Amino acid sequence: MNKILDYIDVKVGDEAPVKSLKIDQELIDNYAHLCGDYNPIHVDLEEAAKTMFKGTIAHGTINSEPILQVLGNYVGTYWPPEGTKVDLQFRSPVRPGDIISSNIVVKQKKPKSFLKAGAGKNTLICDVFTVNDKGTECVRGTAEIVIP
Amino acid sequence: MARIQHLFKKELVTSFGPEKLLSDLTYDKMDIGFDCGGGKYKVTKEEVEKFAKLMGDTNPYCRDESAAKASSYKGLIAPTGMIYIYGLRICWDRKVFIDKAVRMGDYIEFYKPTRPGDIITVKMNVVDKKLTSSGRKLLYIGMDHENQKGEKIVFIRMGFMVPD
Repeated sequence: MNKILDYIDVKVGDEAPVKSLKIDQELIDNYAHLCGDYNPIHVDLEEAAKTMFKGTIAHGTINSEPILQVLGNYVGTYWPPEGTKVDLQFRSPVRPGDIISSNIVVKQKKPKSFLKAGAGKNTLICDVFTVNDKGTECVRGTAEIVIP
Repeated sequence: MARIQHLFKKELVTSFGPEKLLSDLTYDKMDIGFDCGGGKYKVTKEEVEKFAKLMGDTNPYCRDESAAKASSYKGLIAPTGMIYIYGLRICWDRKVFIDKAVRMGDYIEFYKPTRPGDIITVKMNVVDKKLTSSGRKLLYIGMDHENQKGEKIVFIRMGFMVPD
């Protein structure tokens, strides 16, 4: 069993390990096969070239993938602990050739005593975002990560 | 002609809800509470492995059966990112997305993990809508996911900007 993150050891400003994902057309195509989203903007090179994006872009949900992976890995449970919440805004499209990386930074520690009696769990309030290899932000939001 | 062959496995999905949904969908008709139907999705070991490999997910409990059995999960679990697959497949099967709608982001609440063999029931409805001062039409579709034991898996609220 992986080591579970100890709430006491976490400091404001701590950063979760970074997860990077290289995007290529094969990954986008295979994701389309899994989710059923064959929108031409993702899979049709000719049609996508005629749009404002001038080429294919990844499904928005792929942009969130590095963050979702790290949420549970950082805590050590792999699946994000029950009660964990994430709110993400898609900022800019991700294209084949991009490498996107997760960033999770602890902004606040919320001990269980601050929460509703009987329902409290230690929680980390985090800024979360992904950037591509050119430094452009692709996804930004917040996460409330419950520590078991 | 499409560049790629559609290999999406439709047999893993069954859907339910209003018929001919796509032709009915406009911002004005989709009030809060509008029933977008739903469906069932069967999680297979094959797709769990495929997804984990595709996304480079290093979670040992997705692919290493002995490690997964020794963990508190007592067996394999699906990669976290697969939470999107269940609902999206049903959405595309049912065509609940408004044509030319732009995805803005997602709010997600996590509950129990999903596992190979699970049958996930997804129910979808409009949970919010807003007309901004600049005239943008924003629509939010909620997707509740439960497993075959009735346990809550995940809630996802997808945000869209929809065309006039």
